[in-house]
Amino acid sequence: MDFPFELLINAIVAGLLLGGFYAAVTVGISIAFGILDIVNIAHPAFIILGSYIAYIINQTFGVDPILISIAVLPAFYLLGSAVYQVYYVSFEQRGQDALRGLAFFFGLLFVTEVMLILVFGVDYRYVTAGYTDHAYRFGQFSIPMRMLIPCVLSLIMLALLQVFLTRTFTGRAIMAVSQDQLALRLMAADPVRIKRIAFSISIATAALAGACLIVIQPVEPSVGREYIGRVFAICVLGGLGSLPGTLIAAMLLGIVESITATFYGPSWAPAVSFGFLLLTLAFRPSGLFGR
Amino acid sequence: MRSPVFFIVAMLVGLTGFVCALWIGNDYIFYAGFVVLQFIVLATAWNILGGYCGYVNFGSAGFFAVGAYSTVTLHKLAANTGRYFPDALLPVADAILPLSLPMLIVIAGIMAGIIGLGTGYLTLRLRGAFFAIATLALAVVLQTLVLNWSFVGGARGAYIIAPQSVAIGAYELRYIHYLALTMIVLSVLAVTVARLIERSRLGYGFATIRDDEIAAEACGVPTLRLKLVATTISGALMGMAGAPFPYYIGYVDPGTAFGLSYGVNSIAMPMIGGTTSWIGPLIGAILLGTLQQIATVTISSAVNLLIVGILLIGFVIMAPSGIVGLYSEFLRTTAPSKLNARAVGILVLASYCFIVGLGGVVFGLAAAMGAKNSVLAGLGVVEIVLSLAYLASAYGLTKLDRWSPLFTTATLAISIPLSFTYIWLDSSTLNVIIHACVLVIDIVAIWYLQRAEVTGLYRSETEQRVTV
Repeated sequence: MDFPFELLINAIVAGLLLGGFYAAVTVGISIAFGILDIVNIAHPAFIILGSYIAYIINQTFGVDPILISIAVLPAFYLLGSAVYQVYYVSFEQRGQDALRGLAFFFGLLFVTEVMLILVFGVDYRYVTAGYTDHAYRFGQFSIPMRMLIPCVLSLIMLALLQVFLTRTFTGRAIMAVSQDQLALRLMAADPVRIKRIAFSISIATAALAGACLIVIQPVEPSVGREYIGRVFAICVLGGLGSLPGTLIAAMLLGIVESITATFYGPSWAPAVSFGFLLLTLAFRPSGLFGR
Repeated sequence: MRSPVFFIVAMLVGLTGFVCALWIGNDYIFYAGFVVLQFIVLATAWNILGGYCGYVNFGSAGFFAVGAYSTVTLHKLAANTGRYFPDALLPVADAILPLSLPMLIVIAGIMAGIIGLGTGYLTLRLRGAFFAIATLALAVVLQTLVLNWSFVGGARGAYIIAPQSVAIGAYELRYIHYLALTMIVLSVLAVTVARLIERSRLGYGFATIRDDEIAAEACGVPTLRLKLVATTISGALMGMAGAPFPYYIGYVDPGTAFGLSYGVNSIAMPMIGGTTSWIGPLIGAILLGTLQQIATVTISSAVNLLIVGILLIGFVIMAPSGIVGLYSEFLRTTAPSKLNARAVGILVLASYCFIVGLGGVVFGLAAAMGAKNSVLAGLGVVEIVLSLAYLASAYGLTKLDRWSPLFTTATLAISIPLSFTYIWLDSSTLNVIIHACVLVIDIVAIWYLQRAEVTGLYRSETEQRVTV
C-alpha cells in the first residue's frame, strides 16, 4: 500500500485548525494556572456553560453563536470575579493549602456539569448558522468553515490578549503578580485586584471558547471532561503562562490528534493528549518553551 | 487499642450489621450496603495518599476500574480455557480457574498496586496540582486502553453472570450476601491498615511530606520511597474495592467502571469526614454513601451527584478540616482536659441537627419534585428551608457562634408543628413512630439548650467573666 499522502496533508490542515481552537480553550487555563497559579480545573465546565448559553439563545432568537458569545463576555467576566472572590476569601486569604482549592474547583466542575445534565439532559446539542455546512476546497484538501472560523477567532483573541499582557500597565501587572506581590504593591497596584481582573478575563475567554466548541461539534454536558487533560497538556507543554507557547503547543497537539484519529481511529485520540501530558510532566515539567 | 484487637472489634461490628440485615430479610439492604462499603474502602484508600501525604488523586476511578477489569479478564479466561491457553498449560489453567472471589481481590490488588507504583515513579517529580492532573490523565489513558481492548468487551461492555449461591462449609450463602460479607471484611481490613499506617513510623513520615516535603527531605526522611509506598498501598486498596464490582453489577462497561462518581466520591468523602485520621473517611463514606442511596431511591442518581458536589464545596469552604476537624476544635475549647457531659451533649445535638438537616434536604427535594399538588410541593420547600436552618444550627453549635443556641431553639420549635402536619398527612404506624420520636427529641433539645451551663458556653469571654 502506498502512503496516502493526501490524507496526511488533510490531517495536518485539520490538525492546525483544531489546534487553533484548542488554543482558545486553553488560553483561560494559561492565564489562571500558568500566570496566577490558580488550578482552575473547572474551566472546561465553564466552556460547556458557554456552549449551552450560545445554544439556548441561538435556538430561541436564531442569533449567530459567535456574536452571542461576544455579547455574554461581560456576564462571564462577572462570573469570574464572583468565583475569584469566593476563592480568595476562602483559600488565599486564609492561607489554606492548594489541596483544598483544588477540591473546590473539582466540586465546581462537578456541580456545573450535573446542573447542566439536570436542566438539559444528556442529549447532544448543536447550533446552526449560515456557515456551518460550508467548506472551501483547494484541490485535494478542504477547509470546513466551521473549523476555520473558530480558529481565526481564537487567533484574534490570543493576539489581543498578548498585546494586552505585554503593552498595558494592567497586563504587565498581571504578568508580575505571581512573581513578586510586594514589588507590585510598591508600584501602587493592588495584587488582589489584579488577580481578580486576570481570573475574570480567563473565565471570559470560556464564553468564546464555548461558542467555538458548539460550532465545531455537538455538545453534551460531560464533553468538558475530555478537555481537562487536553488543556492542561497544552498549558504545560507550552510552558506555563506563555501565550505564544500555548498556541504552538495547541497546534502541535491538534496535528498529532488529527493524525492519530485519521490513521488509527478517533477512539485513540483522548489517549494521545493525556499521554502527551503524562510524558511532558514526567520528563520536562517546565514545558517545551518553559523559562 | 492495638491493631489486632481493633480488627476483631471492627469485624464484630461489621458482622453484627450483617446478621441484623439478614434478620430484617430485605435484600435491598445488601445491595445498598455493598455500595456504601465499597465507598468506605475507596475513601480510606484515597486518604492514605491524599490525606496522609497531601497528594490529591483525581484518578481513583482508574484504579477502581483496574480492579474491576482484572476480575472481568480472569472471568473471561475461566469461561473458555480451551480457547485461550495452549494445550500444555490447559490442565494447569483448568485446575486454577475459576478463581474464588478472595483470590480475585488479591490479584486485583496486585494489579492496581503495580499501576499505583508506576504512577508513583512517573510522577515522582510532580508536586501539588501537577500530580493531581497527572492522575486524572492516567485514568483517561487507562479508559482509552480498555475502550480499545475487545477481549474485555471494549466500549460494548462485558456481561458477568454471578453464581446463584456460594457454599461456605456446610452453609449455602446467597451470592449477594456473600458479596456483602466479602466487602465487610475488605472494608474492615482497609480501615485497619489505614489506622495502622497512621500510628506507625510510616504515618509520621507521610505527615512530614504533607506538611513540608522539602524540609522533610532535608531532615533525612526518604520522601521518594515513602511516596512510592503510599501510591502503591492506596492504588492496591482501590483495585481491591473494584474487584467484586463486576459480580455485583452483572454488566461492566468503561463508562460505569471509570465513572466520575468514583473519582468525586473518593475525594469528597474524606474531605467531608476529615483527612487527617482514619475515622474521617469512614464517617464521610457512611454519611455520604447512605445519603446517596436515599437520594437515588427518592429522587434520581443525577441529583445525588449534585448533592455530593455541593457538600464538597460547602465543606471545603466552611469546614476545611471536615467533621472530625470541627469536632476536635470544639472539644479543644469546651473540654480541654477531659470529656464532660456538657460538651458531649452539645455535640450529640449538633450531630442530630446535621443528620436531620441532610436527610431533610433530600426528602424535601424529593417531595417538592414529585409532589402531586401545590400544597405538598410547598411543604417540600418548607422542609428544605427548615433543613438548611438545621444545618446552619449544627454548624453554629460546633463553631460556638453566639447566635446559635437561640437560632437552634427557633429551628427546633418551628419543626414541631411540621412534625404534627406529617403525622396528620400520613398516619401509618412507622411514620407516627418516627415523628413522635422527632417531637420528643425536639422538646428535650429545646429544654437542654435553655440550661445555664449551655448558654454560658456561647457568651463572649467578657460576658462570662461578669457572670462568674
